Amino acid sequence: MALGLTISSGSGGSFLPIVKYDARAGRIFRVDREDGSSVPYDITRNFKAVFDFENVEVGWTKFVAGTAPDFVMVPFGEPLPPRPSDEHKQGIRMVIKLSAECGGDCREIAGQSGAFLSGIDDLHTAYEAGKSANAGKLPVVVLKDTVAKESGSGSKKSTNYQPVFEITGWVKRPVDLGSSEPEPVRKAPASTGSTRAAPPAVKAPVADDEDFG
Amino acid sequence: MSSFAKYGIEHLSPSSCNLFIGSPAMFVLQKCLKKNQPVGAAAHRGSAVEKGVALGIETGADTSACIQTAINEFSRLTAMSGDPRKEKEGASIADFVTTALKELRPYGKPSSSQGRIEYKVEGLDVPLIGFYDFEWEDHGILLDLKTTHALPSKISTNHARQVALYVAARGDNLDARISYITPKKSASYHLENKRDHIKSLEKIALTIQKFLSISDDPLELASLVAPDVDSFYFADPLARKAAFDIWGL
Repeated sequence: MALGLTISSGSGGSFLPIVKYDARAGRIFRVDREDGSSVPYDITRNFKAVFDFENVEVGWTKFVAGTAPDFVMVPFGEPLPPRPSDEHKQGIRMVIKLSAECGGDCREIAGQSGAFLSGIDDLHTAYEAGKSANAGKLPVVVLKDTVAKESGSGSKKSTNYQPVFEITGWVKRPVDLGSSEPEPVRKAPASTGSTRAAPPAVKAPVADDEDFG
Repeated sequence: MSSFAKYGIEHLSPSSCNLFIGSPAMFVLQKCLKKNQPVGAAAHRGSAVEKGVALGIETGADTSACIQTAINEFSRLTAMSGDPRKEKEGASIADFVTTALKELRPYGKPSSSQGRIEYKVEGLDVPLIGFYDFEWEDHGILLDLKTTHALPSKISTNHARQVALYVAARGDNLDARISYITPKKSASYHLENKRDHIKSLEKIALTIQKFLSISDDPLELASLVAPDVDSFYFADPLARKAAFDIWGL
């Protein structure tokens, strides 16, 4: 598991607009806000995006219909925080920049389904393998295929579709993805200043005819 | 077309950012619905005092001449103002100027004053602009003058962001200061954590951009916020009426 996740068996979003992978349908959607409603646009056939794996987050996610998604995440590589509730499942969250054909903007992609995480995990492994040869760059990723994966049995049998992503190139970090340097964690609001400032000391004028001889 | 262009906004400033966080409804009223509000007498007092003080420290003019310049400026700015505080503010100008000159004359003649700055934020479609009050290049000091009737014990967050912007544009090595002036007392404070405050301003500006991107229709943006009609932002009778006309509140 390149991402260190125990893959179990949800989707969501926050401040950035989102891209959503529907594991049950094996389709990927750009979700736009139109007239106050979320409108999904299927971009499965031409999906292409730069994935910001440098800032991928892992942790606990909760997607419950009718409520805002909840994320308790840490940067990949840090120990996972305590599980907030039984409703939270392990998941990932990251920012991607869609190709112009898919919309061209930066979006958040997150998920917790086993099929989605398996696909992301494979992609992350490919990223790790290629990043040293492409220092300072991020992978350009396409959705090559989706593969049916059955789980459960009897009445609980279900089929999900694992995304098969492929890295087709590497590019310099797009400006709108922001810095690769994480912002320093601030523990408290910055103070403004209450130290009195005295006027500057008056500099003694240097006479034009000062004798240096 | 950018979110700002749709509303004819060519730049943001510390004051427009502060307006957005202080009263999103007034921001929508002014910047999106283009219903500009009259400037209050207190703001004109500040501008007038600055003009008088600038005369004093730039030319060495005596205090009485500086006071007269400030009073003349205040009279000009408020000639058509219906603000009931006009008389009181006008009466305090002489004391403000006297106190401010006592605080700032020791700094000597500034190398520049009322300098325009422009600062670009990555991802923001318009620049942040502003005008700093005074800079003393030799001393590496940039200072903004604030007139107030009550002397604060520290720099306010909004003022911190404003001056942080000036030094971000002029040079991070500058000693950023704010001088608070009351009619009787004054205090100058060093600005701390400049980078944190400019980062905060950047976040606010990007939030405004995102807010404006929600809709091309100013009334739809208005429907996302609601005015606190008890706040000073809506103290002016015309602003109060606008709040009623638009929000029915």
